[in-house]
Amino acid sequence: MIDNLYSIISIVFSIDKSKINSDSNPETIDSWDSLNTYILIDEIEKEFNVKFTLDEILSIKNVNSLESLLNNKISKSK
Amino acid sequence: MYDEQSLSSYMKNSKKLNSENFDKKIKVAILSSFTLNGLPESIRVKLSTSNIFSHTFLGGYNQYNEEIINKNSKLYSFSPDICFLFLDARKQLGELYFDPYSIDVKSRTKFIHNKFEELINLIEHFLENSNSKLILNNLFIPTYSSYGILEKKIDYGLQEMIMDFNKKVSDYFKNNSSVYVYDFNSFVTRIGENQIFDYRQYFLGDVQISLRYIPHLANDLLGYIKPILGINKKCIVLDLDNTLWGGIIGEDGISGIKLGSIEPIGKAFVEFQKYLLALHNRGIILAINSKNNLDDAMEVFQNHPDMILKEKHFASLKINWNDKVLNLKEISQEINIGLDSMVFFDDDPVNRDFVRTLLPEILTVELSDDPSLYISKLIELNEFNVLKITNEDKQRGKMYQQQRKRIELKDDLNNFHDYLKKLNVKIHVKEANEFSIPRISQLTLKTNQFNLTTKRYQEKDIKTFSNDKNKLVISASVEDKFGDNGITGAVIIQKLSSQEWLIDTFLLSCRIMGREIENSILNFIVEEAKNGNVKKLIAEYIPTKKNKPAESFLSDYGFKEDGTRWIFHINQQIQKNSPHKLVVSK
Repeated sequence: MIDNLYSIISIVFSIDKSKINSDSNPETIDSWDSLNTYILIDEIEKEFNVKFTLDEILSIKNVNSLESLLNNKISKSK
Repeated sequence: MYDEQSLSSYMKNSKKLNSENFDKKIKVAILSSFTLNGLPESIRVKLSTSNIFSHTFLGGYNQYNEEIINKNSKLYSFSPDICFLFLDARKQLGELYFDPYSIDVKSRTKFIHNKFEELINLIEHFLENSNSKLILNNLFIPTYSSYGILEKKIDYGLQEMIMDFNKKVSDYFKNNSSVYVYDFNSFVTRIGENQIFDYRQYFLGDVQISLRYIPHLANDLLGYIKPILGINKKCIVLDLDNTLWGGIIGEDGISGIKLGSIEPIGKAFVEFQKYLLALHNRGIILAINSKNNLDDAMEVFQNHPDMILKEKHFASLKINWNDKVLNLKEISQEINIGLDSMVFFDDDPVNRDFVRTLLPEILTVELSDDPSLYISKLIELNEFNVLKITNEDKQRGKMYQQQRKRIELKDDLNNFHDYLKKLNVKIHVKEANEFSIPRISQLTLKTNQFNLTTKRYQEKDIKTFSNDKNKLVISASVEDKFGDNGITGAVIIQKLSSQEWLIDTFLLSCRIMGREIENSILNFIVEEAKNGNVKKLIAEYIPTKKNKPAESFLSDYGFKEDGTRWIFHINQQIQKNSPHKLVVSK
């Protein structure tokens, strides 16, 4: 899952996958702006067949928070 | 809904485009009242697949007014060739969008009229300052009303207000060649309001077209950009079997193919043809490229009651056994349009691959093997757009058809005999035997077109005839360089006397019609008669609804009309010259 998530992040932010870690955030990734966040969420939702609430989207501060959010969603749906 | 790549892949790929690699260039501006990020990138990547490089300009968020009114704006210094203006109903209607009934009907009517005039003024401004085409969307008509089921009972309710606004705008620009209205309302309807409008994206960033559908929107908009550069498809080339009808005509026969309103598959093909006919009527050229016997296919065109498309609708019919690439090249030359103006429809993946590999300029449509999906494939194409449809366009199909007739006639005169010779036809004629009797009976029962008398005989009848000394039953099997057609002709002679023979039955299967094979068979009969010292051949033509193909056979051969009968004097007439080789076996 993580690998897949990082692939999406890498494409959306146009950065090399190796440069992504759980601490990555809008400060460390130049192209991480609000619009790209929405695109990222949209593509994660499509890929993993999940849906985030408005609150959850707003709570994303870095890759780590996104990861745990996604893990949470996936384990709930199982 | 067709598959689309993700928006991020478009955004990523758009960065790789280099203007030096393209011949055609265009400048595209996008102005909008809501967030449309990602649209320019999607457009750029999509245009690049048509070998077009585009410079794009996306106006500031909800700053379309300023961009248009200010003569020194970035919009005008960008100097677009085409400009899209996207407006949303929420901002146009403001608070009235949520509660239009807070004001009375008269005020609502006035409000919409003012909004319309405001927009017209803005667009007039744009037209004064730019030579660009302007593409303006209509507003999405909301599906919700606070009045619920009573919405339609209200005079000039919310939906009516927006419909009226849309109509006023499109009417105003109906004859304006610089302004086009993009039917955004249909776009939302097609994909679905719940898909297009994502409240989270809307609240997060005023994204009113869900990000994953931005590439779909780009696809629609390409329909306006390409014709500005003169890029549009002009001709649809179609296969026949399993493309215009279900099944294989050469195997299933005219009554076996699936076409018609009785069963589901047949309906799919009928409706597909209706869509094609509508395209033909607006000036899209149709052509056929099919591996088939011409006669088999023509029988369907001429005689199948549910065939919507007729021979006259096609500018070129390549129904032969040549390879499909060769045929496509010939079609392109014949109707004098570039390969890049052609679209190819064929259910066979091997043919598609063949054409795609050798003629990449042609748009080969990827069809699924489900004919119920052909129509949506055709509709999704969005490749036939022109900025104007002229009367000539509408007449084009007819014009090409006349041209085809001319070419064909010329070909007929020059080459038909040569062509027949090249077919290396061998006709084996034989008196009926136990093997051929069932087939001869079947032919008399099934053959409708090339059949002089349409007399139906059961197997036992043919058996009786073949044992009758006063009758002669002949089968003819025909082979050519493409293969053996088997027993496809039959003749039954009634020996009236030692001097006179009557042709009781003379028929050819539709599979071998139109190749002068009938003359060769008749030559054989005349020869036999001569050998038996017979003086006169008597024949009849009994007209039916279907046997017109045999109508002039007797007179063309040299028979003379005598009341209801046709007479041929054996020693006074010269036989028809035949290009075919006749093999007689006992």
